[in-house]
Amino acid sequence: MAAMSPELVSALSLSVQVALAATILNALFGIPIAYVLARRRFWGHGLLDLLVTLPLVLPPTVTGYYLIVLLGRRGLLGKPIYEATGWSIVFTWYAAVVAATVMALPLLVRTARAAIESVDRDLERAAWTLGHSEWRTALEVTLPLARNGLVAGLVLAFARALGEFGATLMLAGNIPGKTTTAPLAIYTAVQTGERGEALLLVGLLTALSCVVLVAAGRLGPRAV
Amino acid sequence: MTTLPLPRLQVRLHKRLPKFELDVEWHAGDGVAVLFGPSGAGKTVTLQCLAGLMLPDAGRVVVDGRVLFDAEASVSVPPQQRRVGYVFQGYALFPHLTVARNVGFGLRDRPRAERQRRTEEVLSRLGIEDLADRYPGGLSGGQRQRVALGRALAPDPALLLLDEPLSALDLPLRRALRDELRAILAAWGTAAVVVTHDFTEAYRLGDRIVVYEDGRVIQEAPRAELLWQPASRAVARVMGLTNVLQGTVLKASPDRIQFRWRGQTLEAVNSPSRSYLPAPDSSLGFFVRPEYVRLIRKDRGADDPTHHMNVMTGRVVREIDFGTTWTLQIRLDEPGEPAQGDFDLEVEVPRLVYEILEIERDRHWRFSIHRGSIHVLPSS
Repeated sequence: MAAMSPELVSALSLSVQVALAATILNALFGIPIAYVLARRRFWGHGLLDLLVTLPLVLPPTVTGYYLIVLLGRRGLLGKPIYEATGWSIVFTWYAAVVAATVMALPLLVRTARAAIESVDRDLERAAWTLGHSEWRTALEVTLPLARNGLVAGLVLAFARALGEFGATLMLAGNIPGKTTTAPLAIYTAVQTGERGEALLLVGLLTALSCVVLVAAGRLGPRAV
Repeated sequence: MTTLPLPRLQVRLHKRLPKFELDVEWHAGDGVAVLFGPSGAGKTVTLQCLAGLMLPDAGRVVVDGRVLFDAEASVSVPPQQRRVGYVFQGYALFPHLTVARNVGFGLRDRPRAERQRRTEEVLSRLGIEDLADRYPGGLSGGQRQRVALGRALAPDPALLLLDEPLSALDLPLRRALRDELRAILAAWGTAAVVVTHDFTEAYRLGDRIVVYEDGRVIQEAPRAELLWQPASRAVARVMGLTNVLQGTVLKASPDRIQFRWRGQTLEAVNSPSRSYLPAPDSSLGFFVRPEYVRLIRKDRGADDPTHHMNVMTGRVVREIDFGTTWTLQIRLDEPGEPAQGDFDLEVEVPRLVYEILEIERDRHWRFSIHRGSIHVLPSS
């Protein structure tokens, strides 16, 4: 590992940190979204479904652009935050996390939703008649029974977050040591002719993705 | 129904679903009420409305004086607070929990020690304490039934609902578990509503039977009354009765009805509870249980008028071996179209009778039907 330069190590560790943070955020927001999409009918159901799925089909730069419109210094949410605190998320580590989270969300939500929908509704009804609220039923019956699908979805989300490029570049930029994740480092390395570094990172990311896919395949029957 | 001051369970429901409309009203006292009828008649929808898993558009549900649902008063108790136990078709046991935790699932609000005590009590009453640490996946059909019953009964519900409780089992087991279920329900004494599409099951399990067809109640009666006095041709059809026939009235009195059928003049006892007086020449529905048709032995003397009434003659056109009994399809010696395809009456004889009378060889018989065995079906 003599060839690992400090920049390379930092890019890799940054990528893993960003991907882990994005996976945690996916679990916190994605699983509840998957649950309501699977089990509730409400006004705006279709819209929420569309919104969450969109990053899967949009070019990542387009998603990144929307994130700037939303969170940028002059953005819908970004402007009031900037005016109140003088801080903006753009070009920070947090921006990389947000971009990775949004890009990974559709994978988790779709996998988790399918897993939740496959839980027999009579099991939930049984829990209700036994005095359990919908909330407790979800925690004690639905989600435990959908566990394999949820974990598979989180693994996929982690993999997607690890490889995020376009939206991250748009929102977080490419600041070495701060927002340059592994995929961005590969791009930079290729651009500056450092073939060796690029190859090493490509190899490492490929290996990691293979591990993740095998893990996901073991956990859920047909995860995607 | 004279001794009951108030029915324990009063049900009036109206629910419009895509392609289906439920509109029923019935009541039940102590013991087991069975909702009986073909699939798609609205029985499960009714259970779901009783449990609060589905909201009716209109109606009222009262259990032991407690209003669970009343559309007009805008009362709708959520399923969590109804104290209604539900045994689902296929049992819906939690596969990720042990038998003990399945049974204790509805006891979450109680202190830990009490929860454990009650779980143990229920398991031992049902004779499944050995299974406490097993998971539902490894249990037999009968064991699952008991766990499902235990889980529903543990919180001591005011009403127990069972949706096709035996349909998940294969036939030999069904019969054994039907009687076991009956014993358990009787032992616990909880008012229960059982849904089934099998008449034998309905009769074995129910004290009172409510017959459903197409989202409506077509008869509601104690089980014996239903068996002998189906209220209409529709009920007889739903019960799967054979020999549901149509004649023409000659004369009707509160005791007897005389009518013509396939060139014969027959006499039947009038329905004792609701005397039915159709006008002469009007059409009359009736049924004859195949096991109550008597073949008249040829080696005996003259007919005895008190035993041999409604005598007819005919030929066996088909016979079906059911092991312990034979079913004979008989066509009367009458010109004209037979009543049921190519035969007029189905007759069931025990195997021994079939062999003694040598029916295999001898196809032409005289037979009689006692007037008490012809059941008139008032048209309504």
